[in-house]
Amino acid sequence: MTSPLASLPFSEPFADDVVCDQRFIEVSNFNFFYGKKQVLFDINLTIPARQVTAFIGPSGCGKSTLLRNLNRMNELLPGVSHSGTIAIHGISIFDPSIEVIALRRRIGMVFQKSNPFPKSIFENVVFPLRIMGKQSRSFLEETVERSLRAVALWDEVKDRLKESALGLSGGQMQRLCIARAIANQPEVLLMDEPCSALDPIATAKIEELIVELKKEFTIIIVTHSMQQASRISDLTAFFYLGKLIEFDQTQRIFTAPIQKKTEDYITGRFG
Amino acid sequence: MHSRSHILTPFTEKLDELDQSLLKIGELARRNLKNAITGLFERDDDYCNNAIADDEEIDLLEMQIDREGLYIMSRFHPVASDLRSVIAAMKIGANIERVGDQTVNIARRARKINEHPAVEELHELDQVIELSSKMLEEALRACVEGNESLALEVKNMDKELDQLNKELNERLILRMQDDSSKIPIYLNLIFISRCLERIGDHAANVAEDVVFEVSAEDIRHLSSSQISKEV
Repeated sequence: MTSPLASLPFSEPFADDVVCDQRFIEVSNFNFFYGKKQVLFDINLTIPARQVTAFIGPSGCGKSTLLRNLNRMNELLPGVSHSGTIAIHGISIFDPSIEVIALRRRIGMVFQKSNPFPKSIFENVVFPLRIMGKQSRSFLEETVERSLRAVALWDEVKDRLKESALGLSGGQMQRLCIARAIANQPEVLLMDEPCSALDPIATAKIEELIVELKKEFTIIIVTHSMQQASRISDLTAFFYLGKLIEFDQTQRIFTAPIQKKTEDYITGRFG
Repeated sequence: MHSRSHILTPFTEKLDELDQSLLKIGELARRNLKNAITGLFERDDDYCNNAIADDEEIDLLEMQIDREGLYIMSRFHPVASDLRSVIAAMKIGANIERVGDQTVNIARRARKINEHPAVEELHELDQVIELSSKMLEEALRACVEGNESLALEVKNMDKELDQLNKELNERLILRMQDDSSKIPIYLNLIFISRCLERIGDHAANVAEDVVFEVSAEDIRHLSSSQISKEV
């Protein structure tokens, strides 16, 4: 049986479809529970396509939990449950007919700590393609070059593609993980504090990359760095105690937020 | 001026220091203006000289405010109301420094007038002095209190001050035709009125910055009706 997501116009350009662009991901009345403990409360959020949306908030506010729900990563944990919906292109990702693997192929993820596989640089990038059964050498080589160029890593590693990825620097490893995440052309990139373990130069390169990648991908980033959110995101959502407090243009959030809780958090007044 | 309680204490301290500098430059500008006007009406050059000499302190404070603002921006990366506070403080500091410059001009003209016998026409300035001083006082009070409605009142006074200045000019030009011997004095009075009108403009600018600081609305170059829609 073919997944409904496979038939979605994920790879089709939808620049003309303004409604689709603006309401690319829709989170509606979403609640989430770890066992009996509710950690997300009635979240309503509409994320537009090909923009960078930042999730900010103090630790434990639910931002990473929501992020991991967007590609159903939380389902890997025992005892979790949810109510409400998350829809992409108007189709619920929780629809029983949705294949989770297909969903995650469309929604790539980059984690806080880079996690290259103990394989060569080349094999790391093509790993998701091999899982999909892609074997054509020329296709794999093209993908590696395209993906590594997209993350500005090609010039640095093109002469040592067969070497272990574990020999790269922290920043290079993280860019390699991003290259792997975009190798099979997802629609969405989820990033969970992707720069928290990197130095300022490596962070700047990843940030530059994020700004570049949004031309092709819809990016949602969880970050604890207010400066990072203000530098690279178009929209910012502030979460507190499992609730979405404010969601607006980043410029607005960082110059004149409406909610006092947002103001107190971003200005560092939270006690 | 503002009650703040950032988790990072030095951040709060630096913002408080910036507030204190702003308070100080405002007090100095107010005092200098009072000295210049007193020197004019009491025909006492000492007051005028004090107003001129003390302007240097205002200049130094303006630079100090800029330094403090830059320090906060580079070290603490303020956002939202904190960011608006720093930007507003730096702009208000610059406007008050201009008030100081106008005050020096008034004091210099007052010394020239004091060289001549007293003239009754000095009191032609009464209304302009009263309104411009009120605008400066209330703009500074709005700044200290973060009082948006008071700031808007100050901005609204600006047109009235412009009108008073214009009327004074017309009256004194007529008198020049009647008594040419007093032309130098009348010219100095016109010049002082012009300086006071400029002080009103700077007070209105301060008021605009206060509105920006409080509500993030930019009301510069807006008419009264547009402002009532915005704020």
